[in-house]
Amino acid sequence: MRRSRTRAVIRLALAGAAACAMSAAPPPAQLRPGAGLAPAGFAQALAPWTFAFPRDHGPHPQFRQEWWYVSGNLDAASGERVGFELTFFRFALQPGAALAPEPAAASAWRTREIYMAHFAIADVQRRRFRFARKLSRAALGLAGAQAAPLHVWIDDWSLEGAAEAVFAAPWRLRAAQPGYELELTLQAQAPPVLNGEAGLSRKSGEPGDATYYYSIPRLSVRGRLIREGHPLGLQGLAWLDREWGSGGLSAPEVGWDWFALQLNDGTALMFYALRDRDDTRDPHSAGTWVEAAGRSRPLSNEEVSIEVTDHWSNAQGTRYPALWRLRVPALALELNVRPVLADQELRTTPDYWEGAVDVSGARAGRSIAGRGYVELVGYAPERPRHDETGVPGRLGR
Amino acid sequence: MMPTLRAASVRHLLRHPAQLALALIGLTLGVGTIVAVDVATASSQRAFELSLQAVNGAATHQITGGPRGIDERLYAQLRTQAAAGVPLRFAPLVTGYVTVGERTMQLIGVDPFAAAELAGEGRVAAAPDPATDGVEGLRRWLTEPGAVVMSAAAAQELGLNGRFDVTVGGVRQRATLIGRIADAGPGLDAALLTDIAQAQEWLGAVGRLSRIDVRVAGGAPDAALAWLRAHLPADLELHATRAQARETFAMTDAFTTNLKAMSLLALLVGAFLIYGAVSFAVLQRRATLAVLRALGATRGEVLAVVLGEAAVLGVVGSLCGVLLGVALGRGLVGLVSQTINDLYFVVTVNQVTVPVSGVVAALCAGPATALAAALLPALEVAASAPQLGLARSVLETRAVRVARALAAVSALLAVGAGLIAWVSGRSLLAGFATLFMLLLSVAAVTPAALRVLAQAAARLGARLSPVARLACGDIAASLSRTGVASAALGMALTAMIGVAIMVESFRESLREWLIHTLRADVYVSAPGPAEASQRRLDPAVIRALLATPGIRDHSESRRVEVASPRGALDLNAVRLAHASYAALQFTQGDAAHAWPQFARGAILVSEPLAWRLGLAPHDTLTLTTAAGPRAFAVAGVYREYGNDRGEVLMSLGTYQRLWADEAISGLGIYLAPGVEARRAVGELRAAAGGRQALLIRSNADIRALSMGIFERTFVITRVLYWLAAGVAAVALVSALLAWELERSRELAILRSLGLTPRGTALLVLAQTTFMGVAALAAAIPAGLLTALVLTGVINRRAFGWQIDLHLTPAQFTDALWLALGAALAAGVYPAWRSARAPLAQGLREE
Repeated sequence: MRRSRTRAVIRLALAGAAACAMSAAPPPAQLRPGAGLAPAGFAQALAPWTFAFPRDHGPHPQFRQEWWYVSGNLDAASGERVGFELTFFRFALQPGAALAPEPAAASAWRTREIYMAHFAIADVQRRRFRFARKLSRAALGLAGAQAAPLHVWIDDWSLEGAAEAVFAAPWRLRAAQPGYELELTLQAQAPPVLNGEAGLSRKSGEPGDATYYYSIPRLSVRGRLIREGHPLGLQGLAWLDREWGSGGLSAPEVGWDWFALQLNDGTALMFYALRDRDDTRDPHSAGTWVEAAGRSRPLSNEEVSIEVTDHWSNAQGTRYPALWRLRVPALALELNVRPVLADQELRTTPDYWEGAVDVSGARAGRSIAGRGYVELVGYAPERPRHDETGVPGRLGR
Repeated sequence: MMPTLRAASVRHLLRHPAQLALALIGLTLGVGTIVAVDVATASSQRAFELSLQAVNGAATHQITGGPRGIDERLYAQLRTQAAAGVPLRFAPLVTGYVTVGERTMQLIGVDPFAAAELAGEGRVAAAPDPATDGVEGLRRWLTEPGAVVMSAAAAQELGLNGRFDVTVGGVRQRATLIGRIADAGPGLDAALLTDIAQAQEWLGAVGRLSRIDVRVAGGAPDAALAWLRAHLPADLELHATRAQARETFAMTDAFTTNLKAMSLLALLVGAFLIYGAVSFAVLQRRATLAVLRALGATRGEVLAVVLGEAAVLGVVGSLCGVLLGVALGRGLVGLVSQTINDLYFVVTVNQVTVPVSGVVAALCAGPATALAAALLPALEVAASAPQLGLARSVLETRAVRVARALAAVSALLAVGAGLIAWVSGRSLLAGFATLFMLLLSVAAVTPAALRVLAQAAARLGARLSPVARLACGDIAASLSRTGVASAALGMALTAMIGVAIMVESFRESLREWLIHTLRADVYVSAPGPAEASQRRLDPAVIRALLATPGIRDHSESRRVEVASPRGALDLNAVRLAHASYAALQFTQGDAAHAWPQFARGAILVSEPLAWRLGLAPHDTLTLTTAAGPRAFAVAGVYREYGNDRGEVLMSLGTYQRLWADEAISGLGIYLAPGVEARRAVGELRAAAGGRQALLIRSNADIRALSMGIFERTFVITRVLYWLAAGVAAVALVSALLAWELERSRELAILRSLGLTPRGTALLVLAQTTFMGVAALAAAIPAGLLTALVLTGVINRRAFGWQIDLHLTPAQFTDALWLALGAALAAGVYPAWRSARAPLAQGLREE
C-alpha cells in the first residue's frame, strides 16, 4: 500500500526544494491528484507483473516511485522491548536516463532521482519515540539502489540483501540517529507474498492508480541497538513491504490506516483502509491474509470491519485513532490492536503516525496474540507555508 | 553670577550667528568625515558578511582545499562515515563568478538537500506547499539545463525573466530563471544560485568542490571536530566560519586604516576651527567678562561658561556631523566597495549600515574635540586678572609668549615623531602617530613662524611704504588671531602636499615598475574577477593561440591561492620566456644566484609579502601542497606593486608537480620583430574563436588599465583630503573674517589719515594673502617631510612597498590654490566693507 507515500516523497522533496529558495517558484504545474501525476515516459502498473527475485527486490527506475519498508518488534534478553521502522523511498523527477548537457563534461551530481529515508525507534521501556530523516539526490554514491544483491542506501543507512537467490539468505539493515544505532540481520521465514491481484494492487478506479506490491510478512531478526553508546542485543520479528508504480492519489482519497500484524500462531494480516474526503472508507481498501505455511488470500474491503475505540491527540491537536477492533468474519478472526506507545508520530513533512502495536483477540474461538505496525496518514493538517519564525523557506536561512 | 554669565554668553553667540555657523560647519565636516568613512567601511564589511551568510548561514566551520578545491569523493566519504555518533552536518558548495550583462555576480552551486539538512529540521518546514508547486520546482532545479534562482530584487534590476545569457570564465552559457526569492536579504543581491551539478559544469570544476560547510549540531563539538580533522587529507583545512570571514575581510585592513586616518585628519583640522571660534568669542567678550569678574564672577564660573559653550557647540556639531556623515557615507560606499573590488574580493553593497559604535565614537569625539580646543582660551580668560582683561596689549603679549612656547612644543613633537618612527619598527598605528605628531608640530610652529616672517616683511616693507609696514606689522602684532588661522591652514596644506607627493611618487614608481615588468608584447588571460584559481585558459585555446604566426616566445603563468600555516597566500607559478627573467627587480638577493635556485624549486617572494611575513633570502616558507605542508626556500625578494597582500613566485614545473594542477591562467606572448602588437591581438582573438572569451591585451593596454585602477583606488584619498582642506579653508575664512571685522575702527582711522578706499581694500587683501603665503611657505618643507613619512613609514608599514620619491611642481599647485583661494576669500568681504564703510561710523565705535 502506502502508494500515497508518493505524496510523502513529494512533500519531502519539496522540503528540500525550500532550501533551493523555491519559495517564489514559478506558477505551479498543478500536481493535484489525477492531474498529470504520472507524466508521459514512466511505466504504469496496468497489467500483472512477472515477479522474479532477487531482481524485484532491487529498483525499478522505469517507474516513478517505489519504497522499501521494514518494521519490526524486537526484544532484549533483559525483557526490554524495541520497535523500529526503516523506510527508503525512491522518487524520479523525470523519466529516462540522467540528464547532462554533454556527457564529457557532466557533473557526477546530475541526477533525475531523489531518495528519502525515515528511521524511527520506539524505545518502549523508556517511553521514548525517536525518528530521523534523510533526503538526498541519487548521485555520487550518496544514495541509490541496486538489485542482485539488493542494496539501497542513503549515506550510512542501508538495507542489503544476500548475493544468493534463495529467499532465506540473510539481509542486513543499518541505520543510526543521535542516541540510537541499529544493526540487524533479517532472515525471511517464507517467500514473498504478492498482494492484490497477483501483485497488482489497484488503489482506485483509475487504471494508472495502481502499484506492484509484495510483502515478506515474517522475517526473523537478530542484531543490536547501540543506545547512547551501550549495545543492547535484540531479536524478534520484522515485516518487509515493497511497492512501486507511477500513479498518484485518486481524487477523493485523503489518507489511510494501514495494519501489518504478525500473530503468534504463525499467521499474518495486512490491511489498508483508504479514507475518502468525507471520512468514509474507500471501496478500494484491501488486504492480505497469510497462513503460517505461507499461503495467502486477498481480503476485500467488505471482508474486514474496523472499529476505532479510542483516540490520541498530539500537542497541536491532531487527533489520531489509537485503539482498534478488527473483525474478519470469513476467518472467524477478531483482533484488538493497541499502540505500545501513544506518541509514535513522525513530525516531518507531512506528519504521520507509524508505530509498534500489540494485538490480542480470538481466532475461531481460540485466544490469540501478536504484534505489528500501524501507519496512519492524512490526519495532520497541511503544514503552513511559513514556519513559526515567519521566515519563508530560502537557502539555509 | 552664573545666570548673568550664561545670559551674556547666549546673547553674544546669538548676536554673532555667522561666527557660530562657521564653527559648527567645521565641526560638522570633521565629525561627518569620520562617520562617513565608518559607514562606508562598515557597509562593505556587512555586505561581505551577509554574502557569506546568505548560503549555509548556519555553518559553524568550513573545509577548504588547495587551488583545485576539494575532491567531491571526500564529501561522499564524510557523509557515509560520519555516523550518528558524530554530530556533524555537511553541505558542499561550488562557487565562482559569472557575468550577467554588465554585472559580476557570485555563482553559488548548492545541493539543496544538504543545505536544508545543514540549516536544520525546523527551517525546512518553511517549505512552500509541496502538493502544489514543490515537485515541479525541484524537478526544474535538478533537471532543467541552466536552471538558476536569484533574488527578486536582482532579477528586477537586471530586467531578467525566463532565459538569459551568463558568461562564465569567458564562455557564454544559457540560463533559465526558474525562481525569484521574494524577500532575499541583501546577502543574496549579488548571487546567482544554481544546482551544484550545473555550477561544476559551468565553472569547469567537475569533480571538485569549492568548500564544504560544516555545522556542529550539538553534542561534543571538540570531539566531533577532532574526528573531522583526523579524517581530512593533508591538503585540506578546517576553519571556523567566523574566523575565516574575519581573515578574508582583514585583507582590507591597511586600506581601511588609511581611510580612518584621513578622516581623523579632517576632525583635527576641525579642532582648529573650534579653537579659533571659541578664542575669538572669548576675545570679543574680554571686556564683558572682565567686568563680570570685577563684579564677583569666579574663575571657575568663567571657565564653566566658556567650556559650556564649547560643549554645546560640540554636541550640536556632532549631531549635525553624524547626519552629514551618514549622507556622505552613502556616497563614499561606492568608492570604498569599488576599491575593495579592484584590489581584494567581489562585494556588492546595496545596503548602508550605520555602525552604532562608530556613531557613538563620533558623538564622543566631537564634543571632546570641541572641549579640548576650547580649553586653552577658556583657561586663558579665566586666569586673567580682571583689570588686565580689559587690556588688549596684555593678550597679544601673552600670545607671543604662547607662540614661542608652541615653537618649542613643535620641536619636541617633531623629535618625538622621529623617535617613534625610529623605534616602533613595523607598527602601522605608530606610523600614523608619527604622521599626526608631525602635522601638529607644523601647526604649533606656524604662529611663531608667521610672526617672524611678518616682522621681517614689515622691516622690508618699511622701505617701500608705511602702509606695507603697517600691514605686515599688524599681522605680527595680532598673533592671537592670525596665528590660529594660519596654523590650521598650514597643517591642512602640509597634509595636502604630503599626500600629493605620495600619490604622485607612487604613481611614478608604479609606472616605472610596469614598464620594467611588462616585457611581453601581448598578454592573454581568462576574464573574471578575484578567485583566481577558476580563471584558466582552455588547453585547446592555448594550442590555437600559440599556433598563431609571428610568435617568438611565450611565458605561462598559473595564479592560485594556496593555504599556508600563515594564512592563504597568492601564488603565481610561472614558466618564463627568456626575456622575462630580466623583468624581475630584486630588492633582496641577486639574480645570478636566485634564478638557478628558483629552477630547482625555491621560491621568490614579492616585497609586500616579504614585509608582511618578515621573509628574507635563506628563510623558508611553508605552503600546503596537495601532499600536505612543505617548506620552500626563499631565494629572493622582488619589487611588486600589483598585489598589496604580496605573492609567492614559483616555477610552473614545481607547482604542477606538487599541486597536481595543469591549468594555465595566463600567457605572455613575445612577438617576432616587425609584428605589430595591435594586429597580433586581432589575430590571437581570431585564433581563440568563439570557444572562450579571453582578455587579450597589448602591453600598452595593460599599463593603461593598471594606471586606471591605481587612479580609482586613490579617488577616495582625494575626496578625503579635499574634505580636510575644506575644513581648513573654512577655519581660515572664519578667523580672518572675524579679525578684519574687528579692526574696522583701526581701518577707519587709517582712512581718515588719507588712505583711499581702494588702498584700504588692498591693505586688507594683502594681509590675508600674506598669511596664506606664509602658511604655504611653512607647509612646503613640512609637506616634504610628511611625504617621506607617508611613503617611507605609512605605506611601507601598511603594504611593504618601497616607493621612490618623485617631486614635481604640480604636486604643490593644489596647495597653492587652496592657500590663495582661502586667503582671498577671507579678505574680499572685509576689504569691500572697510573700503565702503562710512568713516564716521567706524570712528564712532571708538
